[in-house]
Amino acid sequence: MNFRRIKAVAFKEWRETVRDRIFLLLAFLLPVLWMLVFGYGLVLDVEHIPLVVVDRDHSALSRDYLYRFTESRYFDFKGSLTSETEADAWLLSGKARAVIVVPEKFGERLLAGQPAHVQTLIDGTFPLRTDITKGYVLAINSALSGELLADYVARTRGLSREQAKTLVQPIRLEVRYLYNEEVRSAWSIVPALIMFSLMLAPPLLTALGIVREKETGSIYNIYSSTVSKIEFLTGKLTPYVAISFVNALLLWLLATLWFQVPFKGSFGLFLLSSLIFVLTSTGIGLLVSLMVSTQVAALIITMVLCTLPTILFSGLIVPVSSLSPGAQIQAHLFPGMYYTNIVRGTFLKGVGMNVLWADMLALALYAALLRLVAYRLFTKRPRS
Amino acid sequence: MIVSGVPRSKRAAIWWGRLMVMTRKELIQLFRDVPIVVFLIYSFTLSVYISGNGLKSQLHNANISVYDADHSFSSRDLIHKFQPPFFSFAGELSSSNEGLYRLDRGTVSAVLDIPPRFHEQLAAGEPTAVQLLVDTTNSPQGLSAASYAARIVAQFGQEASLARFGGSAEASQNLPVIVSDHRVWYNPDQNETWFESISHLLRMITIFAMLLPATALVREKERGTIEQLLVSPLTPLLIMLPKVLAMTVVILCAMAVALFGVMQPIFGVPIRGNLVLLFSLTALFVFTTAGMGLFAATITKNQSQVGLLTLLLIAPMLMLSGVTSPMEAMPPWVQYLMTLSPLRYFIDVVYGILLKGNGLKELWGHVLAMGLLGGSLFGFGMWRFRRQFQ
Repeated sequence: MNFRRIKAVAFKEWRETVRDRIFLLLAFLLPVLWMLVFGYGLVLDVEHIPLVVVDRDHSALSRDYLYRFTESRYFDFKGSLTSETEADAWLLSGKARAVIVVPEKFGERLLAGQPAHVQTLIDGTFPLRTDITKGYVLAINSALSGELLADYVARTRGLSREQAKTLVQPIRLEVRYLYNEEVRSAWSIVPALIMFSLMLAPPLLTALGIVREKETGSIYNIYSSTVSKIEFLTGKLTPYVAISFVNALLLWLLATLWFQVPFKGSFGLFLLSSLIFVLTSTGIGLLVSLMVSTQVAALIITMVLCTLPTILFSGLIVPVSSLSPGAQIQAHLFPGMYYTNIVRGTFLKGVGMNVLWADMLALALYAALLRLVAYRLFTKRPRS
Repeated sequence: MIVSGVPRSKRAAIWWGRLMVMTRKELIQLFRDVPIVVFLIYSFTLSVYISGNGLKSQLHNANISVYDADHSFSSRDLIHKFQPPFFSFAGELSSSNEGLYRLDRGTVSAVLDIPPRFHEQLAAGEPTAVQLLVDTTNSPQGLSAASYAARIVAQFGQEASLARFGGSAEASQNLPVIVSDHRVWYNPDQNETWFESISHLLRMITIFAMLLPATALVREKERGTIEQLLVSPLTPLLIMLPKVLAMTVVILCAMAVALFGVMQPIFGVPIRGNLVLLFSLTALFVFTTAGMGLFAATITKNQSQVGLLTLLLIAPMLMLSGVTSPMEAMPPWVQYLMTLSPLRYFIDVVYGILLKGNGLKELWGHVLAMGLLGGSLFGFGMWRFRRQFQ
């Protein structure tokens, strides 16, 4: 290993990157633009569910009941219909995702101390949203049920309302939300977006940079030079690691200053793990670049290889513990998950090395392994 | 470039012949690149299977630990109510500090804290409270866990009350409560493999439809082979259209493989609408998305640039078009921005045709939007292309 030769290769690579102004601009712009668009746009809370209602009862109680839905921020009231067939058409066209059908004699039955059935029709196309919608409906229903029941018990047993309430609902659940006390979607998403950007952009930068030389044939200059394998690979990767590391810093600034996400952990720890993570993700690009010979293939393969697990198996949207056992194994095989733990840990939980060491170790091993494989695969004397 | 002195019918035949030759050229170029072909097959078979099989977006197996300070019959009974599939019991804790420790490490996502005298108070009809600590680093999952827990506790409390008064199940039928009946349509069992495999298919189609034509065009510019095409008797349309046609053919075949080879036989994804409509609208979507790719190709000089530019555009398309997160909850400016994403319309088309059995009657608005978007993107690309080379 000769440090001067590494520097020469890195410098050559840097010059080539800087000369392509559009490429350079995109390399820095991409993570920042993503962060802005996703930070605002990627809202995971299910709110404003388009809702229509069919009220067959038209009593004071049914109006009061439906008012609880139309006033809720979880539902967007789209209209009142007269029949279920009409409601079907609304669901079919996607104009409504949920329908509440209040039966005849709804108010009468409840006031007489009898149960009333309310039917909810929910569009099942998106299972998570279906599930959450169901939860909202149940919550509104049981809140009103509790009130009605308490009134009823108070009336029939001659108790005070307070006593009746305790009787109906003896256990209170006190929920304390930890780490993201106001339960803001942006606070969950923004730190994980650092992972998203650093998982997708660096591999592409690296793979394109190396395959470009293969495709234009300029790599033969390297083959015939005195530069050794390890010198070439190290020098070649340096500018991309540097660009990506600067991006990690930019994203951190954006997250803390623009989105005001609290950063409770150690900054040094964040920097160190980001460096390791960038080394890992550029390593993936390096590996792809060694397996293909055209930039088209490099592009497609890095995108397919990285986007799927990044969106699905990295804990960005679905926590790893909720995956099926097979998918959990995949999640552990992919570096994104470890870094998600680290960013959420340093941002929201404020935990340190004593908790995150295993994730950091996994990433470091990953980075080392990728480089080892790349070193074995890369040859200065290609057969074809 | 205009073939003069040849009758109109023959001119059409020549044009058609050229189109076919160029399309064949694109296909040959594509299939020569073995890694791409391997990944194309992987993306539409194995990877559809993996994502369909592995994902649960609902709350599943949230690990919950319990600090039970009461150790009574009632507290154990309550703990037993926290059951799979929503919760998975991760053991009892010896102190409430240990709960925080585990939450910090992420080994559990919720801790239930039952106070001493829980059973006593419950039996005496006094009000009591249990505490739940929830990890909200992933906010929707945290909220779901809290809402499930609230339901479990409320029901447990009601049952305990009823039991205290010797009330049986029959007695509860004569109480004024609202009974919730749910009917889930189009996917009654809430089978997530349907949703996940379809959404994966959509992602893959988008990536390939955008990247392949874009890189095919830029490659010609970068290598200079475009000069050869320009001196040949081909119009700009005849240079750009075959790239889109070739990819459309490939993607339609890939989709057929995914649909009939994986999704229908293995996951039982229903096909309730018209297949011809599905495939024609997929072709329209590929055309529109390819138009976006070609547009990116005409404003960039080399494959590295187009690679980054398409990645910049594709990620928001994949994440914000309505599959990953609900459209309705996004801020208005993001919703407006997403009207430019063809995927936003195509999502409704595919789920609509497969699960709801929608036809053109429901979907015409989306079809129109995709067509307009594709037409203008393609037109703009052609205009840029002409200006650059002629």
